Amino acid sequence: MNALILLSLILFILMALIGGKKGVKTFIALFLNFGVLLVTILIMNDPNASPVLLTLIASIIISMITLFFIHEVNRKMVMAFFSTIVTTILLLLFIVIITDRSMIQGFGPEEADGLYLFSLAIGLDFVEITISVIIMSTIGAILDTAIAISSPMQEIHQQNTTISRKDLFKSGMSIGRDILGTSTNTLFFAFFGGYLGLLIWLKDFDYSLGEMVNAKVFSDELIAILMANTGIALVIPITAAMSAYFYHSTKQPKEAKTQEFHTQKDNET
Amino acid sequence: MNRWKEKITKKHIIYSLLLIICFTASLVFVQNNHSFYDRPIAKVVETTELERTETIDQHDNSDIEVTQELKAEILNGDHKGSLLSINNHYTESQAIDHHFEVGDEFFVSVDSENQTGEILDVKRDIYVVFVLWMFLLVLIAVGKKQGVLSFVSLAVNALILSLALDIYMHNSDISLLWISGISVVLFTILSLLIVNGRNQKTYAAMIATLVGTLSSLIIAYFALDITGEQGLRYEEMSLSTRNPQLIFMAGLLIGALGAVMDVAITMSSSLFELYEKNKQISVKKLRQSGLEIGKDIMGTMTNIIFFAYVSGSIPMMLLYLKNDSPLGFTLTINLSIELARALAGGIGIVLTIPIAIYITLFFIKRDSKNQEL
Repeated sequence: MNALILLSLILFILMALIGGKKGVKTFIALFLNFGVLLVTILIMNDPNASPVLLTLIASIIISMITLFFIHEVNRKMVMAFFSTIVTTILLLLFIVIITDRSMIQGFGPEEADGLYLFSLAIGLDFVEITISVIIMSTIGAILDTAIAISSPMQEIHQQNTTISRKDLFKSGMSIGRDILGTSTNTLFFAFFGGYLGLLIWLKDFDYSLGEMVNAKVFSDELIAILMANTGIALVIPITAAMSAYFYHSTKQPKEAKTQEFHTQKDNET
Repeated sequence: MNRWKEKITKKHIIYSLLLIICFTASLVFVQNNHSFYDRPIAKVVETTELERTETIDQHDNSDIEVTQELKAEILNGDHKGSLLSINNHYTESQAIDHHFEVGDEFFVSVDSENQTGEILDVKRDIYVVFVLWMFLLVLIAVGKKQGVLSFVSLAVNALILSLALDIYMHNSDISLLWISGISVVLFTILSLLIVNGRNQKTYAAMIATLVGTLSSLIIAYFALDITGEQGLRYEEMSLSTRNPQLIFMAGLLIGALGAVMDVAITMSSSLFELYEKNKQISVKKLRQSGLEIGKDIMGTMTNIIFFAYVSGSIPMMLLYLKNDSPLGFTLTINLSIELARALAGGIGIVLTIPIAIYITLFFIKRDSKNQEL
C-alpha cells in the first residue's frame, strides 16, 4: 500500500474517533484545502495570471473552508475571517517590498546543479511566486490565531454584555499575548523541521554566518519564517479591535441606544 | 490621555530608547559592513540595457532574455574603489538570475586585469536584519513582556538547534534521530517554561507534548515500515548530503513539535481554568469540555503545518509543470515527502488531544486530593 494513503487513513480514523462528526468534517476540509492549493498552482501555470492575486483569492477560499465548513457561519467565525483577510493584505504590502528588494525569488546558485535538465526561461514571474509562497505558508497560522482570539472574546462579551468596548479589546489583547509564544513556536518548528536537510547541508559545506545570511537558500527561509511570525503577531490587535468593535455594536435593538451612549461617554473620558 | 501618560514610566522610556539605538546601530552596521567580508562586494552605479530578445524554449514557453551592462564599484578588499564593467544576463522570469538596479550590491569574483568580474550572489544581509527587527518590534508592540519572552524562546530554540547540528556534524557515529530526540526534550522543556512559567499547567503540557510527539513518531515509523515507503520520493528533497530517510524522520520529529506543544498547552490551560473556576466540577464534565475544545482546534492546527510544509514546493512544481512533466509525476516527486510530514504531524496533533486531556486530568485529580488532605 502507498505510504501516503496509509498515513491519511490513520489520520482520518483518529480524527473521526476523537472529533466525531466535526473530525470527519475537519478531514474533508483538509482535503478540500489541498484541492484549492493544487488548482491555484495549475492556474499559476498561465503566464498571464498574477500569482499574488491568485494567492489572495485562494486564501479567501481556504479561510472560508476552514472557518465556515468545519464550524459554522457565526459572528466568531465571520470576525476571524475578516481579521485574517485584513492581516494578509497588510502583510502582503510588506512582503512585496522585501521580496523585491532582497531578491530571494526562484532558486539559488547552490541548486543550479540539480536544475540543469530544466529550461528556466519559463515566462513566469518568480518574484510574485515567492510572495505567494510566503503568504500561503502563513495563512494557516494567521487563521488559527484569529479564531483563538475571536471565540473567547465572544464568550466574554456574552457573559458580560455591559463590558465596555475598551475592556473587551483589552481582554482580547491579553488572550492574544498568552498564545503569542506558542503560536510563533508552532511555525518556527514547522519550518525548521522542513529545512533540517538544508541546514545540515549548509553546515556540511562550512558556510560561515556571513555566507549563510546572504545565501538565497537560507535567507529566503529565514525571511519567510520571520514574515509569517510577524503575521501572527499582527493578527492579534487586528482581531481584538475588530471583534471589540463589532461584538459591541451588534446588540439587541432595545439596549442599543443606551449602549451607544455609554460608549460615547467611554470615549470622552 | 492622562492615564496613558502616567502609565509610561522611566523604565519604558529607557527600554524604548535602547531599542531605537540598537535598531539604528545595527542597520547602519549592516549597511557598512563590507570590510568584514572576505569576498569582494560591488555596488551597481550605472546600468545600461544592451539587448532584449524574446525567447521560446523547447516546451513553447516564451520569455524575454535581457543583457544589461553594469558599472559596479568595489566596496572592500584589495581592489576597493575600482570600477568593474559586467555584462549581466537575465530572463524576465528571474528563476535563477537577477535584474539589477543602481544601488544594488552583490558579491563578485574580480578579474582585475580586464576590469570585469562574475556575479556570485546578492548581498541580502541588510534585508534579513531589517525583517528580523520588524518582527521583534511588532512582537514587542503587541505582546509587551510576553512578546519579549516569545522572542527569547525562539532565539534559545534556534541556538539549541544549531548546537545539536554541530554535535551531529562532528560525531557522525551518533544517530541524527537520537540527537533530534534529545533536542526535542530540551525544546519542549525550555519553550514551555519560558513562555508559560513554572506551574502545573506547564508540567502537564510538557508530558503531553513528549508523549504525543513520541507516539506520532512511532505511528509514522510503522506506517512507513509496513508500506515499505512506497510512494515516497526522496529525490527532490532540498539540497541534502546525508541519508534522506533519516533527515526526513528527524524533520518529522521536530516539525510537528511546535504544533503538538501548542495543542498540549491549549488543552492543559483551558482544563485547569475550568477547574480553578469551579473546583467541584466532575471529571466526566472536564473530559467532555476538553474534547469539545480539542475538536475546535484540530482543524486549524492541522492546517498550519499542512500549509507551512506544502507551500515551499510551489516554485519547483511550477518548474516541473512548465517543463512538460506529467501532473502525477510532478506531484509525487515534489509533494510526497511534504505530505507525509504533514500527515504525520496531523496524526501527532490529533493524538495529543486525548493524551493532554488524560494527563491534565491526572494532575487535576492529584491537586484535588492534596486539597482534601
